[in-house]
This record gives sequence, structure tokens and C-alpha cells, in this order.
Amino acid sequence: MPMCSNRKETKKNRRGPSLLALIFGVLFLANNAWAQIYLPGPPPEQPSDYGKVILDSYSPAAGMHAVEFDHWQHRARFTCRLCHVDIGFAMEAKATGIQSATIRQGFHCGACHDGKRTFAGKTIFAACSDDRHDQRCARCHSVGVPNARQEEYRTFTAKLPKAFYGVDWEAAEKSGLIKPVDFLEGVSVQRQAMQSREDFSIKAGYSWVNPIVFSHEKHSIWNGCELCHPEIFPTAKRGTGRYSMFANIEGRYCGACHGKVAFPLNNCRLCHPRAPTWVAQ
Amino acid sequence: MSKTRFIAILLFIGLIAQFGVCASGKPVGAAPQTAPAQQSWQREFEDVCSRTQDAMTFSQQELTALIQRCDALQGRIDKLDDTQKKVYMGRLRMCRGLYAYVLESKRNEKK
Repeated sequence: MPMCSNRKETKKNRRGPSLLALIFGVLFLANNAWAQIYLPGPPPEQPSDYGKVILDSYSPAAGMHAVEFDHWQHRARFTCRLCHVDIGFAMEAKATGIQSATIRQGFHCGACHDGKRTFAGKTIFAACSDDRHDQRCARCHSVGVPNARQEEYRTFTAKLPKAFYGVDWEAAEKSGLIKPVDFLEGVSVQRQAMQSREDFSIKAGYSWVNPIVFSHEKHSIWNGCELCHPEIFPTAKRGTGRYSMFANIEGRYCGACHGKVAFPLNNCRLCHPRAPTWVAQ
Repeated sequence: MSKTRFIAILLFIGLIAQFGVCASGKPVGAAPQTAPAQQSWQREFEDVCSRTQDAMTFSQQELTALIQRCDALQGRIDKLDDTQKKVYMGRLRMCRGLYAYVLESKRNEKK
């Protein structure tokens, strides 16, 4: 009898390491899968593709090429607020319901692209003319049309400061190389300049994460108040917002802009200034 | 043709030229924001929503009054045509939302 009992114990002992290895393996795979999902993706290989939006809700059905919208062409000239608040472009691609009819009525792209407005002494071309064979169509309906874009990214951005993901727009604005316009006659509401607001620190939820330094001033230059509050940041009670990198990567909170158009989430120090230098590749 | 009839025809053609565009629909490409019939609601919209930058400086009473004015505007904007309604409803939603957000944060500060 004692011998039998000894054999059982030996079997149990042999199972121990296998079980541990199995648990470790499962955890390792789960962790990898989690990291795949929740690590911020690298910016596109071509900096010109950063912030690109393809609009194909109506064009293909109308026998037109889809529209390729480049944020870099527009954000060098206009604030985010002007387009996303005053003109009414949604923050999600294809959520605005832009159609040639609405453009011709002077809404959406047609708020500026009406063939009458001027910018820096040049007339802004009219979008969506009645003539479908108009060469100008390809200026916007350019998906799959080779060499359709008239302004080439490299030439356009040659004199602008660069960051690892493309143009450093914040530095470009600060140095005066770009002066984004925030008012559109007949569309925008006259408003006073925002009083300068101080930066503030947001304490991270984990002791090992450095605090975020949020600059109201930098954000208000581009966005105003109503673009972010309350739709992107709805919580009005300090300390109750549950922001996380997971949510950001999914496109919520800071991720509504950062990672799509504004600088990506790969470089920790841009938001957590005291964090160690690390750029996810 | 008598002189009177000739003048009457000329006047008739002139009237058609004057109002014919309106009869056939909205002029394409005209800025809808500047049509005179819309000036009243638009003036109110501009007055209410031009203060968003100063929202933090307003008292709770002032913010409440602005929110009420936004709510009153909703009905007027609701009567506009589809695209205009969509654009201005969106702008009004953001403007009202900000005032409500600031009001809530001020109430929370007091607690």
C-alpha cells in the first residue's frame, strides 16, 4: 500500500511543470494577442497618407472615382475647428453625408470650393461642376487616377518642420510657417480670441505611468472648446474620466484626433513629457 | 401692336425675369446663410454661439440662459431644408453641449 501511494505522488509531481508550462504558454499567447490589438500602430509608410480620408459613399454609384481627402493640404491653411464646427464636417469619415448637391448648395466642401472665394490671392476652385468630363473632377475624385493630385506632398511640405510621422504641425504653427485661418465669411460666427489657458497635469491611473501634461493653449489654437467638449470628453467632474491608452487606440478621447490626423500615439513623451524616450515602431 | 400692349408685354417679361429664378427653385451656388428670410434665426444663432470661447467666464445663471436660448432656436432650425438643418443642428448641438458641460462642471466645483 505505501508503495502505491508513492507512485501517485510521483505522477502528480510530473504533472506540475507541464501544467505550469501550459499556463505560461496560454498567458504568453494571450499577452501577444493583446499587444497586437492594443499597441498603437505605426504611422503609414508614406507621410502623405497620414490623415488621408477616402470618401466612397456616393461617388462609385454615380460613376465617379472615390474622393481622396488629404488632411495635410487643408490643415496647413485652416484650423480643425473651422471645418469640423463651422462647416459641419463630422469627426468620423463618411458620417457627414457629403453629396455633390450639398456642395453645389454651398455646404460642406462647397463652403469654400465655390469658385468665388479666394485664399492667398488665388481663387479656390469650384467643386462638383455639372460637367462630368471636367478635368477638375480628378482634383478630388482621385482614387485610382494616376498623378491626379496637383499639389505634391513633398513640394508642399518642403519648408515645414518634420517629425517621425510627417509634418510637425505644432512646430510649424509656432514658428509662423503656417497661419491656420479660423474664420470663413458668411459661415463662421465672429468671436473673440480665447483667453490664454494654462497647461494642466492629468495624473495617471497607475503609479508607474508619468502624468500627462495637457496644453489647453495648443489645443485651443486648432480646436476651440466645443470640438472637444462634451462630445469627445464628456465628463465634467474632475477626476471621474476613465481615460486609457486602450480607449485612445480605439479612437476615443485623445484618439479621436491623435493617431488619425494629429501626432500619433507611438511617442509617449509627446503627452507624458517625463516618460522615457520610446517610439513604438 | 398698340403702345400700351407693348409696355404691358415688356412689364410681364420683366416680372418673369425678376421672379422666375425663385419659382424654379433655389439658385445653385448661392450662399444659403445670407438669404434675408433666414437672417432672424441666424442672428440669434450667431449671438448665442459666438460666446463659446468665453464659456468658462459665465455664471451659472448666464449659462442657463444661453442653454434656454439654444433650445428655443432648435425649433426654428428644425424648419430649415435638409442640409442646412443638418449643418446648423450640428453646430447648435456643439454650442449647447459646451454650455451644458461648463454649467455641469461649475456645479460640480461648488459641491
